[in-house]
Amino acid sequence: MNEVLASVGVSFAQLGLLVALAPGLSGLIKRMKAVLQGRKGPPLLQSYFDLVKLLRKDAVVSEHATVIFRWAPAVYAGCFATAALLVPVLWWRAPLAGWGDAIALVGLFALARFALALAGLDTGSAFGGMGSSREVAVAALAEPALLLALFAVARRSGGTDLSSASGFFVAQGVAAVAPSQLLALAAMVIVVIAETGRVPADNPDTHLELTMIHEGMLLEYSGRPLGILLWASLLKQIVLFSLVAALFFPFGIAAAPSEIPAALGGFALKLIVLALLMSLVESSSAKLRILRVPELLGAACALAMLALVAEVVVR
Amino acid sequence: MIETQSVAADALPDTCAALVQERRARLVVMTGTDERERGRGFGLYYVFALPSGALVSIEAQIDPARPEFPSVTRVVPAAHWYEREVKDLLGIEPRGHPDPRRLVLHDDWPHGLHPLRKDFDGRRTVARDPHPHGPITGVRGDGVIEVPVGPIHAGIIEPGHFRFGGVGELVFQLEARLFYTHRGIEKAAEGASVERVLFLAERICGACSLSNAVAYSQAIEAIADRHPGRRTRLIRSVLLELERLYNHVGDIANLCAGAALQLAVYQGGVLKERLQELNAEVAGHRYLFGVACPGGVRRDLDAAAQECIRRETGAIESEFRSYVDALLQTESFMERLVGTGVLEHDLADELGAVGVAARASGVARDVRASQPYAGLRPGMVTPVLRTEGDVRARMLVRVDEAFASFGLVNDLLRELAEVAPTELVTPIGPLPPDRWALGMVESPRGENVHHVMTGAAGEITRYRVRSASYNWALVPFAVAGNLLPDFPLINKSFELCYACLDR
Repeated sequence: MNEVLASVGVSFAQLGLLVALAPGLSGLIKRMKAVLQGRKGPPLLQSYFDLVKLLRKDAVVSEHATVIFRWAPAVYAGCFATAALLVPVLWWRAPLAGWGDAIALVGLFALARFALALAGLDTGSAFGGMGSSREVAVAALAEPALLLALFAVARRSGGTDLSSASGFFVAQGVAAVAPSQLLALAAMVIVVIAETGRVPADNPDTHLELTMIHEGMLLEYSGRPLGILLWASLLKQIVLFSLVAALFFPFGIAAAPSEIPAALGGFALKLIVLALLMSLVESSSAKLRILRVPELLGAACALAMLALVAEVVVR
Repeated sequence: MIETQSVAADALPDTCAALVQERRARLVVMTGTDERERGRGFGLYYVFALPSGALVSIEAQIDPARPEFPSVTRVVPAAHWYEREVKDLLGIEPRGHPDPRRLVLHDDWPHGLHPLRKDFDGRRTVARDPHPHGPITGVRGDGVIEVPVGPIHAGIIEPGHFRFGGVGELVFQLEARLFYTHRGIEKAAEGASVERVLFLAERICGACSLSNAVAYSQAIEAIADRHPGRRTRLIRSVLLELERLYNHVGDIANLCAGAALQLAVYQGGVLKERLQELNAEVAGHRYLFGVACPGGVRRDLDAAAQECIRRETGAIESEFRSYVDALLQTESFMERLVGTGVLEHDLADELGAVGVAARASGVARDVRASQPYAGLRPGMVTPVLRTEGDVRARMLVRVDEAFASFGLVNDLLRELAEVAPTELVTPIGPLPPDRWALGMVESPRGENVHHVMTGAAGEITRYRVRSASYNWALVPFAVAGNLLPDFPLINKSFELCYACLDR
């Protein structure tokens, strides 16, 4: 009984940590980009203010909207809340380890995307439909790349389980570095850029509806549902960052309870480094022509495939 | 000075066609008037420019009992928007016009009501039809989707409705519906004082306010035959080039926003800001309002101001050079521009493209070269030409013109330093009756033409503004065949103004 309670407690602690940090991470990236572009940028806490404002507002719902439109935010947020429990963050073993592996994680991403893409189509607005169609086209290549990269990494510990892989890397330390891991990391970075809707695949800061991918699907939302969707998108971002941190920069992840404070510091440091990487990529490149985005993700697929091959052959 | 030919309305198409074919003239503007109060009918003035720069006006009187005329558009396509305007605003029907839909007045405006007719009271409120039928024809077919955008946009821009038709990301056709906030400026100018109309002219559009003020002033000066002195004209030219500079630099920075190259958006924005601060420093206004007036300018550029311009433009020029070099080396950005939004040379030529859009498609039109005005002497400006007609060409034309303007400002300042300070304003006095004149200025977007006419008592009886933003008529042609998300990039490469149409 105590064990069950403890595991529930750990789950809530991890989910709470990620949910609480997610807007801050976005604020940090925005601030870093602003400084890199010679601006002052919004306050670090602005993302929190925006979300709180939205959550307190009523929503305007199109008269053409169906139940899909109303339920999509819940499904979307639920998927990423679950995904947040499948990834090791501070402790090598994720709260839901054993309940779902890399395939489950990618499946949750796909389910969330499916719900949001349907919602984008639901109201019949042209921008929503455009966003959905582009999102699905991008996902067709982003998902296999993510899956292959995770396979290549998880295979080191003999399966598809992310916690086992994380535990393996924590135990092995620097000795675990292999060519396959570098290739998988490159693929993962591209996937993270595409999945978080960043330049050069998408642009999170644009008001140009015709160019939108992720934002296009959200255009019909307002008030609380919009707040939930935005917060869930930020949760997705921090989950992806945590995934990269756990699998490619495993140092500092706790294997004993006394190491948890250090793990927290290490986690924050890793988020900052990844945020800086994203800001640099976004500030130094123009957005790709839409029909060339698949080329970028194709490269991610190829890198992930090479990682898997390297893993099989080198061993 | 202007060669005029009065012809019967039925002879308009043949006369205009002959002018275009035999004397290689191009249509500069067409203005319709209501002259019924003065014992005549409606007047139509087709003003052409010859390759020499001389102007030719083909004029016809239309019988008020039968307000129609054979459309010139079929033989001179550049007339297409002018004739639709005349139909909306004056109720004169261009017979045989290939696109007789409404243009300036939307379909919610009652039929039979024409605001530029003299018997229409410009101050009255007109009840609109709450359920108008749109003039959009659209695209039909298997798998075709229509994407309506606007008139309210997410960014802080003016209203305009764009209807894209295509399959997937590929656009087959774009229809643009503009003229959403018609302000009746031309109507308000009728009967107003010379100073009052200057006030209106400066407020047609913020970004080319000085170009409009100078074009209007030149038209008034030509009517009165009172011309400002050399110093005044040099000051006008210096400030007009400063206006071009802040626009061109800002437009290039804005183009980067179309491709999400954020770093360049802000870096270019800083340079534009510094140019506008320079405007405020030497002319007292960031957008150069209140500087030009009929007869001259209201503010001298003394030695200190000249030195300030020289120093600041010198510093900004070298920074702009490294900015452009960096931009041209950013492959992810340049790759987006090549081959995007091509405007064909023949189309640009025949439909009367002006400014950057014309020159990027190989059509050499620059008022500064063809009809040198203000402080410019013939040969001081050579049109910057490119032939590709794509977004990249329009950007590079702006780049080269900006560098040319930096040089031109210095040349003009050197001349200005040698001209002794004089009276800045030549008094215009009452305007002579029954005259008309054109004022033409190459604004940052292209040729702005102000057509001013005086009535029996020398009052302003018609004021017609044809801005470079008539290039809007060309944008749909450049968009067809491109990808939907490339539209913002194409649109920003034309960088046209909605307010310029909403006169």
